[in-house]
Amino acid sequence: MKHLPKHLQPRYRYLAVGIESWPDATVDRRGFQRALWDETRALLGDPGSAAVDPSVLQFDREGSVGRAIVRVRRGTVDRARAALACIDAIDGDPVGLRVRGASGTVRACEEKYLGGPPEPSEERTVVYQRQERTATARSPRVDVRQGDAFLGVTEFDCETPNRDAEIGENHESDRD
Amino acid sequence: MLPHSTAATRSERRKAGACDRGDMYEAVHAAPEGESTVSRLAITAREYGYDGIVVRNHGDQRAEFDAAAVAEETGVDVVNGVEISAEDPQQASGYLGNFRPDYTLLVVHGGTTELNRFAVEQEKVDVLAHPMAGDGDLNHVLANAAAEHGVRIEVNLRPVLRESGGTRVRAIKDLRKCWELIEDADAPFVVSADPRSHLQLRGVRELRALGEEIGLPGEAIESGLAEWGRLAERNREINSESFIEPGVELGPYDPES
Repeated sequence: MKHLPKHLQPRYRYLAVGIESWPDATVDRRGFQRALWDETRALLGDPGSAAVDPSVLQFDREGSVGRAIVRVRRGTVDRARAALACIDAIDGDPVGLRVRGASGTVRACEEKYLGGPPEPSEERTVVYQRQERTATARSPRVDVRQGDAFLGVTEFDCETPNRDAEIGENHESDRD
Repeated sequence: MLPHSTAATRSERRKAGACDRGDMYEAVHAAPEGESTVSRLAITAREYGYDGIVVRNHGDQRAEFDAAAVAEETGVDVVNGVEISAEDPQQASGYLGNFRPDYTLLVVHGGTTELNRFAVEQEKVDVLAHPMAGDGDLNHVLANAAAEHGVRIEVNLRPVLRESGGTRVRAIKDLRKCWELIEDADAPFVVSADPRSHLQLRGVRELRALGEEIGLPGEAIESGLAEWGRLAERNREINSESFIEPGVELGPYDPES
Protein backbone atom coordinates (compact mmCIF):
# COMPACT_ATOMS: atom_id res chain seq x y z
CA MET A 1 0.00 0.00 0.00
CA LYS A 2 1.18 3.50 -0.75
CA HIS A 3 2.62 4.93 2.38
CA LEU A 4 0.89 7.68 4.26
CA PRO A 5 1.65 11.37 3.87
CA LYS A 6 3.94 12.58 6.61
CA HIS A 7 1.35 14.30 8.76
CA LEU A 8 -0.66 11.07 8.94
CA GLN A 9 2.22 8.76 9.73
CA PRO A 10 2.17 7.43 13.26
CA ARG A 11 4.53 9.21 15.68
CA TYR A 12 6.56 7.11 18.05
CA ARG A 13 8.70 7.41 21.14
CA TYR A 14 11.46 4.96 21.96
CA LEU A 15 12.07 3.70 25.49
CA ALA A 16 15.41 2.34 26.60
CA VAL A 17 14.61 -0.46 29.05
CA GLY A 18 17.05 -2.16 31.40
CA ILE A 19 16.18 -5.75 32.33
CA GLU A 20 17.82 -7.59 35.19
CA SER A 21 17.28 -11.23 36.16
CA TRP A 22 18.99 -14.07 37.98
CA PRO A 23 21.89 -15.59 36.02
CA ASP A 24 20.03 -18.80 35.15
CA ALA A 25 17.03 -17.03 33.60
CA THR A 26 16.20 -17.69 29.97
CA VAL A 27 14.75 -14.33 29.07
CA ASP A 28 14.64 -13.68 25.35
CA ARG A 29 13.19 -11.12 23.02
CA ARG A 30 10.15 -13.18 22.21
CA GLY A 31 9.34 -13.75 25.87
CA PHE A 32 9.79 -10.06 26.67
CA GLN A 33 7.56 -9.01 23.79
CA ARG A 34 4.87 -11.42 24.93
CA ALA A 35 5.10 -10.29 28.55
CA LEU A 36 4.88 -6.67 27.42
CA TRP A 37 1.78 -7.33 25.33
CA ASP A 38 0.13 -9.38 28.07
CA GLU A 39 0.83 -6.81 30.75
CA THR A 40 -0.24 -3.85 28.63
CA ARG A 41 -3.49 -5.64 27.91
CA ALA A 42 -4.01 -6.65 31.52
CA LEU A 43 -3.41 -3.16 32.86
CA LEU A 44 -4.72 -0.92 30.08
CA GLY A 45 -7.23 -3.16 28.34
CA ASP A 46 -7.67 -3.64 24.62
CA PRO A 47 -8.23 0.03 23.76
CA GLY A 48 -5.22 1.02 25.85
CA SER A 49 -3.05 -1.62 24.18
CA ALA A 50 -4.05 -0.38 20.77
CA ALA A 51 -3.27 3.19 21.78
CA VAL A 52 0.17 2.37 23.23
CA ASP A 53 0.98 -0.26 20.59
CA PRO A 54 4.22 -1.37 22.27
CA SER A 55 6.77 -3.33 20.30
CA VAL A 56 10.27 -4.52 21.12
CA LEU A 57 12.69 -3.24 18.48
CA GLN A 58 15.97 -4.37 19.96
CA PHE A 59 16.89 -6.82 22.64
CA ASP A 60 20.20 -8.05 23.86
CA ARG A 61 21.24 -9.84 26.96
CA GLU A 62 24.52 -10.75 28.58
CA GLY A 63 24.40 -12.92 31.70
CA SER A 64 21.86 -11.46 34.10
CA VAL A 65 21.47 -8.06 32.44
CA GLY A 66 19.61 -7.21 29.30
CA ARG A 67 18.66 -4.08 27.42
CA ALA A 68 15.88 -3.39 25.04
CA ILE A 69 14.39 -0.62 22.98
CA VAL A 70 10.62 -0.51 23.11
CA ARG A 71 8.66 1.55 20.61
CA VAL A 72 5.40 3.12 21.77
CA ARG A 73 3.03 5.70 20.29
CA ARG A 74 3.85 9.25 21.14
CA GLY A 75 1.86 10.55 24.09
CA THR A 76 1.58 7.14 25.73
CA VAL A 77 5.01 6.93 27.37
CA ASP A 78 3.62 7.05 30.89
CA ARG A 79 1.01 4.39 30.22
CA ALA A 80 3.76 2.22 28.77
CA ARG A 81 5.89 2.84 31.86
CA ALA A 82 3.06 1.69 34.07
CA ALA A 83 2.66 -1.51 32.07
CA LEU A 84 6.42 -2.16 32.07
CA ALA A 85 6.51 -1.72 35.83
CA CYS A 86 3.99 -4.53 36.21
CA ILE A 87 6.08 -7.09 34.33
CA ASP A 88 7.05 -9.23 37.26
CA ALA A 89 8.46 -12.23 35.42
CA ILE A 90 9.22 -13.30 31.87
CA ASP A 91 8.50 -16.96 31.10
CA GLY A 92 8.47 -17.61 34.83
CA ASP A 93 11.82 -15.93 35.52
CA PRO A 94 11.57 -12.95 37.88
CA VAL A 95 12.84 -9.74 36.30
CA GLY A 96 13.63 -6.23 37.37
CA LEU A 97 12.72 -3.61 34.78
CA ARG A 98 13.57 0.03 34.56
CA VAL A 99 12.99 2.65 31.91
CA ARG A 100 16.33 4.36 31.51
CA GLY A 101 14.97 7.06 29.26
CA ALA A 102 12.77 7.95 26.32
CA SER A 103 13.74 9.54 23.01
CA GLY A 104 12.16 10.53 19.74
CA THR A 105 14.47 8.37 17.62
CA VAL A 106 16.02 4.93 17.99
CA ARG A 107 19.45 6.38 17.51
CA ALA A 108 19.12 9.03 20.20
CA CYS A 109 17.72 6.38 22.50
CA GLU A 110 20.72 4.11 21.94
CA GLU A 111 23.27 6.86 22.27
CA LYS A 112 21.80 8.56 25.29
CA TYR A 113 20.58 5.68 27.38
CA LEU A 114 22.09 2.40 26.28
CA GLY A 115 25.75 3.39 26.14
CA GLY A 116 28.29 0.64 25.58
CA PRO A 117 27.75 -3.11 25.82
CA PRO A 118 26.59 -4.47 29.19
CA GLU A 119 29.32 -5.30 31.66
CA PRO A 120 30.33 -8.93 31.27
CA SER A 121 29.76 -11.24 34.20
CA GLU A 122 32.10 -13.90 35.51
CA GLU A 123 31.75 -17.11 37.44
CA ARG A 124 33.69 -17.13 40.67
CA THR A 125 33.82 -18.67 44.10
CA VAL A 126 33.01 -16.35 46.96
CA VAL A 127 32.78 -16.70 50.69
CA TYR A 128 29.40 -15.56 51.88
CA GLN A 129 28.35 -16.12 55.48
CA ARG A 130 31.49 -18.18 56.02
CA GLN A 131 30.65 -20.66 53.30
CA GLU A 132 32.32 -21.02 49.96
CA ARG A 133 29.78 -20.75 47.20
CA THR A 134 29.69 -20.51 43.47
CA ALA A 135 28.51 -17.18 42.20
CA THR A 136 28.05 -15.04 39.14
CA ALA A 137 29.56 -11.62 39.58
CA ARG A 138 29.15 -8.29 37.82
CA SER A 139 31.18 -6.10 40.08
CA PRO A 140 30.08 -5.05 42.63
CA ARG A 141 26.95 -7.22 42.21
CA VAL A 142 27.22 -10.89 43.07
CA ASP A 143 24.52 -13.54 42.61
CA VAL A 144 25.29 -16.38 44.99
CA ARG A 145 23.94 -19.82 44.23
CA GLN A 146 21.93 -21.26 47.07
CA GLY A 147 20.47 -24.66 46.29
CA ASP A 148 18.19 -24.15 43.30
CA ALA A 149 17.88 -20.44 43.81
CA PHE A 150 20.11 -17.40 44.01
CA LEU A 151 20.71 -14.74 46.58
CA GLY A 152 21.51 -11.19 45.47
CA VAL A 153 24.52 -9.87 47.39
CA THR A 154 27.43 -7.54 46.69
CA GLU A 155 31.16 -7.73 47.05
CA PHE A 156 30.83 -5.83 50.33
CA ASP A 157 28.91 -8.78 51.78
CA CYS A 158 31.56 -11.33 50.78
CA GLU A 159 34.87 -12.13 52.33
CA THR A 160 37.90 -12.79 50.16
CA PRO A 161 37.87 -16.47 49.20
CA ASN A 162 41.48 -17.31 50.00
CA ARG A 163 41.22 -17.24 53.78
CA ASP A 164 40.29 -20.90 53.89
CA ALA A 165 41.42 -21.31 57.46
CA GLU A 166 38.63 -19.07 58.69
CA ILE A 167 35.80 -21.05 57.18
CA GLY A 168 34.04 -22.73 60.05
CA GLU A 169 32.70 -26.20 59.35
CA ASN A 170 29.73 -25.98 61.63
CA HIS A 171 28.60 -22.55 60.54
CA GLU A 172 25.43 -22.89 58.61
CA SER A 173 23.74 -20.13 56.75
CA ASP A 174 20.38 -19.06 58.10
CA ARG A 175 18.81 -19.71 54.75
CA ASP A 176 19.85 -23.32 54.18
CA MET B 1 22.18 36.72 26.76
CA LEU B 2 18.53 35.93 26.74
CA PRO B 3 18.76 32.18 25.93
CA HIS B 4 21.38 31.80 28.65
CA SER B 5 19.29 33.39 31.32
CA THR B 6 16.29 31.31 30.28
CA ALA B 7 18.32 28.12 30.58
CA ALA B 8 19.57 29.16 34.00
CA THR B 9 16.07 29.87 35.18
CA ARG B 10 14.89 26.55 33.92
CA SER B 11 17.64 24.61 35.65
CA GLU B 12 17.04 26.56 38.83
CA ARG B 13 13.39 25.78 38.63
CA ARG B 14 14.20 22.12 38.13
CA LYS B 15 16.47 22.21 41.14
CA ALA B 16 13.79 23.86 43.19
CA GLY B 17 11.35 21.22 42.03
CA ALA B 18 13.73 18.50 43.13
CA CYS B 19 13.94 20.06 46.56
CA ASP B 20 10.18 20.25 46.89
CA ARG B 21 9.88 16.64 45.95
CA GLY B 22 12.23 15.52 48.69
CA ASP B 23 14.50 12.50 48.64
CA MET B 24 12.94 9.32 47.32
CA TYR B 25 12.93 6.31 49.63
CA GLU B 26 11.71 2.77 49.15
CA ALA B 27 10.93 0.36 52.00
CA VAL B 28 12.37 -3.11 51.38
CA HIS B 29 12.52 -6.60 52.83
CA ALA B 30 16.15 -7.77 52.79
CA ALA B 31 17.66 -11.26 53.25
CA PRO B 32 16.98 -13.52 55.11
CA GLU B 33 13.35 -12.51 54.59
CA GLY B 34 13.92 -11.38 51.02
CA GLU B 35 16.26 -12.66 48.35
CA SER B 36 18.79 -9.83 48.32
CA THR B 37 21.04 -8.27 50.92
CA VAL B 38 20.70 -4.70 52.10
CA SER B 39 23.72 -3.57 50.09
CA ARG B 40 22.43 -5.19 46.89
CA LEU B 41 19.08 -3.50 47.38
CA ALA B 42 20.84 -0.22 48.05
CA ILE B 43 22.94 -0.42 44.87
CA THR B 44 19.90 -1.26 42.79
CA ALA B 45 17.83 1.45 44.47
CA ARG B 46 20.45 4.00 43.51
CA GLU B 47 20.28 2.83 39.89
CA TYR B 48 16.51 3.16 40.00
CA GLY B 49 16.70 6.75 41.19
CA TYR B 50 16.21 6.42 44.94
CA ASP B 51 18.16 8.32 47.57
CA GLY B 52 17.52 5.91 50.40
CA ILE B 53 16.01 2.65 51.52
CA VAL B 54 14.19 1.66 54.68
CA VAL B 55 14.79 -1.91 55.77
CA ARG B 56 11.42 -3.18 56.98
CA ASN B 57 12.06 -6.85 57.72
CA HIS B 58 9.62 -8.47 60.09
CA GLY B 59 10.76 -8.73 63.69
CA ASP B 60 11.36 -12.49 63.50
CA GLN B 61 13.49 -12.32 60.33
CA ARG B 62 15.79 -9.44 60.96
CA ALA B 63 18.55 -8.59 58.54
CA GLU B 64 22.08 -8.23 59.83
CA PHE B 65 23.76 -5.17 58.40
CA ASP B 66 25.68 -2.08 59.25
CA ALA B 67 23.53 0.77 57.97
CA ALA B 68 26.31 3.35 58.08
CA ALA B 69 28.79 1.10 56.26
CA VAL B 70 26.32 0.24 53.52
CA ALA B 71 25.41 3.90 53.17
CA GLU B 72 29.06 4.79 52.78
CA GLU B 73 29.74 2.06 50.21
CA THR B 74 26.69 2.70 48.09
CA GLY B 75 25.88 6.36 48.59
CA VAL B 76 22.32 5.43 49.55
CA ASP B 77 20.88 6.32 52.92
CA VAL B 78 19.93 3.17 54.82
CA VAL B 79 17.26 3.40 57.50
CA ASN B 80 16.97 0.69 60.06
CA GLY B 81 13.30 -0.12 60.48
CA VAL B 82 11.25 -3.08 61.57
CA GLU B 83 7.83 -4.38 60.64
CA ILE B 84 6.06 -5.65 63.71
CA SER B 85 3.76 -8.57 63.07
CA ALA B 86 1.73 -9.44 66.10
CA GLU B 87 -1.21 -11.71 66.79
CA ASP B 88 -3.12 -9.08 68.71
CA PRO B 89 -2.82 -5.51 70.00
CA GLN B 90 -1.38 -6.56 73.40
CA GLN B 91 1.48 -8.37 71.76
CA ALA B 92 2.03 -5.51 69.30
CA SER B 93 2.16 -3.09 72.19
CA GLY B 94 4.88 -5.15 73.86
CA TYR B 95 6.93 -5.29 70.67
CA LEU B 96 6.63 -1.54 70.19
CA GLY B 97 8.29 -0.91 73.52
CA ASN B 98 10.99 -3.51 72.90
CA PHE B 99 11.88 -2.40 69.39
CA ARG B 100 11.75 1.36 69.82
CA PRO B 101 15.28 1.82 71.16
CA ASP B 102 16.90 -0.26 68.38
CA TYR B 103 15.09 0.96 65.29
CA THR B 104 14.61 4.28 63.57
CA LEU B 105 11.26 3.35 62.05
CA LEU B 106 8.51 1.22 63.52
CA VAL B 107 6.03 -0.23 61.07
CA VAL B 108 3.04 -2.25 62.20
CA HIS B 109 2.05 -5.10 59.92
CA GLY B 110 -1.64 -4.34 59.48
CA GLY B 111 -4.35 -6.37 57.87
CA THR B 112 -6.83 -7.12 60.65
CA THR B 113 -9.38 -4.71 62.01
CA GLU B 114 -8.02 -4.98 65.57
CA LEU B 115 -4.42 -4.31 64.59
CA ASN B 116 -5.35 -1.51 62.22
CA ARG B 117 -7.35 0.16 64.97
CA PHE B 118 -4.57 -0.36 67.48
CA ALA B 119 -1.88 1.05 65.16
CA VAL B 120 -3.66 4.26 64.18
CA GLU B 121 -4.18 5.17 67.83
CA GLN B 122 -0.55 4.78 68.88
CA GLU B 123 1.70 7.78 68.54
CA LYS B 124 4.67 5.42 68.87
CA VAL B 125 3.78 3.78 65.56
CA ASP B 126 5.35 5.43 62.52
CA VAL B 127 3.60 3.49 59.78
CA LEU B 128 0.59 1.21 59.52
CA ALA B 129 1.59 -1.15 56.70
CA HIS B 130 -0.84 -2.55 54.13
CA PRO B 131 -4.01 -1.97 56.18
CA MET B 132 -6.16 -3.46 53.41
CA ALA B 133 -4.27 -6.76 53.17
CA GLY B 134 -6.08 -9.95 54.17
CA ASP B 135 -9.22 -9.19 56.14
CA GLY B 136 -8.09 -5.69 56.95
CA ASP B 137 -10.17 -2.65 56.23
CA LEU B 138 -10.14 1.07 56.85
CA ASN B 139 -12.91 3.55 57.43
CA HIS B 140 -13.19 7.26 58.09
CA VAL B 141 -12.85 6.77 61.85
CA LEU B 142 -9.52 5.00 61.53
CA ALA B 143 -8.27 7.45 58.91
CA ASN B 144 -9.14 10.37 61.18
CA ALA B 145 -7.41 8.66 64.10
CA ALA B 146 -4.30 8.18 61.95
CA ALA B 147 -4.35 11.86 61.07
CA GLU B 148 -4.76 12.82 64.72
CA HIS B 149 -1.92 10.58 65.96
CA GLY B 150 0.42 11.16 63.03
CA VAL B 151 0.49 7.50 62.01
CA ARG B 152 1.33 7.10 58.32
CA ILE B 153 -0.98 4.83 56.39
CA GLU B 154 0.84 2.78 53.80
CA VAL B 155 -0.33 2.68 50.21
CA ASN B 156 1.18 -0.66 49.28
CA LEU B 157 1.53 -1.12 45.53
CA ARG B 158 2.85 -4.66 45.81
CA PRO B 159 -0.36 -6.50 44.83
CA VAL B 160 -0.85 -4.20 41.83
CA LEU B 161 2.66 -4.99 40.63
CA ARG B 162 2.70 -8.69 41.43
CA GLU B 163 -0.83 -10.05 41.24
CA SER B 164 -3.10 -10.48 38.27
CA GLY B 165 -6.75 -11.01 37.43
CA GLY B 166 -9.42 -10.77 40.11
CA THR B 167 -6.92 -10.52 42.95
CA ARG B 168 -5.40 -7.46 41.36
CA VAL B 169 -8.78 -5.90 40.64
CA ARG B 170 -9.69 -6.24 44.31
CA ALA B 171 -6.32 -4.84 45.35
CA ILE B 172 -6.78 -1.79 43.12
CA LYS B 173 -10.28 -1.31 44.48
CA ASP B 174 -8.91 -1.42 48.02
CA LEU B 175 -6.15 1.05 47.22
CA ARG B 176 -8.63 3.48 45.73
CA LYS B 177 -10.75 3.26 48.85
CA CYS B 178 -7.67 3.68 51.01
CA TRP B 179 -6.64 6.75 49.04
CA GLU B 180 -10.11 8.33 49.26
CA LEU B 181 -10.06 7.93 53.04
CA ILE B 182 -6.53 9.32 53.32
CA GLU B 183 -7.48 12.34 51.23
CA ASP B 184 -10.69 12.95 53.12
CA ALA B 185 -9.06 12.73 56.55
CA ASP B 186 -5.92 14.49 55.32
CA ALA B 187 -4.05 11.62 56.95
CA PRO B 188 -0.28 11.24 56.48
CA PHE B 189 0.76 8.37 54.22
CA VAL B 190 3.70 6.52 52.71
CA VAL B 191 3.93 4.64 49.42
CA SER B 192 5.92 1.48 48.77
CA ALA B 193 6.22 -1.26 46.17
CA ASP B 194 7.31 -3.45 49.10
CA PRO B 195 10.10 -5.28 47.21
CA ARG B 196 11.54 -8.52 48.52
CA SER B 197 14.49 -8.68 46.14
CA HIS B 198 16.47 -6.24 44.04
CA LEU B 199 14.48 -7.49 41.04
CA GLN B 200 11.23 -6.30 42.61
CA LEU B 201 12.30 -2.67 42.89
CA ARG B 202 10.65 -0.29 40.44
CA GLY B 203 11.66 3.24 39.53
CA VAL B 204 9.98 6.35 40.90
CA ARG B 205 8.61 7.40 37.52
CA GLU B 206 7.29 3.92 36.87
CA LEU B 207 5.43 3.87 40.19
CA ARG B 208 4.16 7.34 39.51
CA ALA B 209 2.83 6.27 36.11
CA LEU B 210 1.27 3.19 37.64
CA GLY B 211 -0.40 5.32 40.31
CA GLU B 212 -1.95 7.56 37.66
CA GLU B 213 -3.24 4.50 35.86
CA ILE B 214 -5.03 3.11 38.93
CA GLY B 215 -6.43 6.41 40.16
CA LEU B 216 -3.77 7.66 42.60
CA PRO B 217 -2.28 11.03 41.67
CA GLY B 218 1.38 10.89 40.58
CA GLU B 219 2.33 13.66 43.03
CA ALA B 220 0.87 11.60 45.85
CA ILE B 221 3.04 8.63 44.89
CA GLU B 222 6.17 10.77 44.98
CA SER B 223 5.19 12.44 48.18
CA GLY B 224 4.50 9.04 49.75
CA LEU B 225 7.92 7.75 48.74
CA ALA B 226 9.58 10.87 50.11
CA GLU B 227 7.61 10.53 53.34
CA TRP B 228 9.78 7.56 54.43
CA GLY B 229 12.79 9.85 54.27
CA ARG B 230 11.07 12.65 56.18
CA LEU B 231 10.00 10.18 58.86
CA ALA B 232 13.52 8.81 59.16
CA GLU B 233 14.94 12.29 59.46
CA ARG B 234 12.42 13.24 62.12
CA ASN B 235 13.06 10.12 64.16
CA ARG B 236 16.81 10.48 63.90
CA GLU B 237 16.52 13.98 65.24
CA ILE B 238 14.37 12.76 68.10
CA ASN B 239 16.73 9.90 68.89
CA SER B 240 19.95 11.77 68.29
CA GLU B 241 20.63 12.36 71.98
CA SER B 242 20.30 8.73 72.91
CA PHE B 243 22.27 7.26 70.01
CA ILE B 244 24.38 8.49 67.13
CA GLU B 245 25.08 6.26 64.17
CA PRO B 246 28.52 6.60 62.66
CA GLY B 247 28.40 8.35 59.32
CA VAL B 248 25.03 9.89 59.97
CA GLU B 249 25.27 13.59 60.55
CA LEU B 250 22.90 14.85 63.16
CA GLY B 251 24.06 18.43 63.37
CA PRO B 252 21.85 21.10 64.93
CA TYR B 253 18.98 22.28 62.81
CA ASP B 254 20.13 25.29 60.87
CA PRO B 255 17.61 26.89 58.53
CA GLU B 256 20.38 29.03 56.99
CA SER B 257 22.30 26.13 55.46
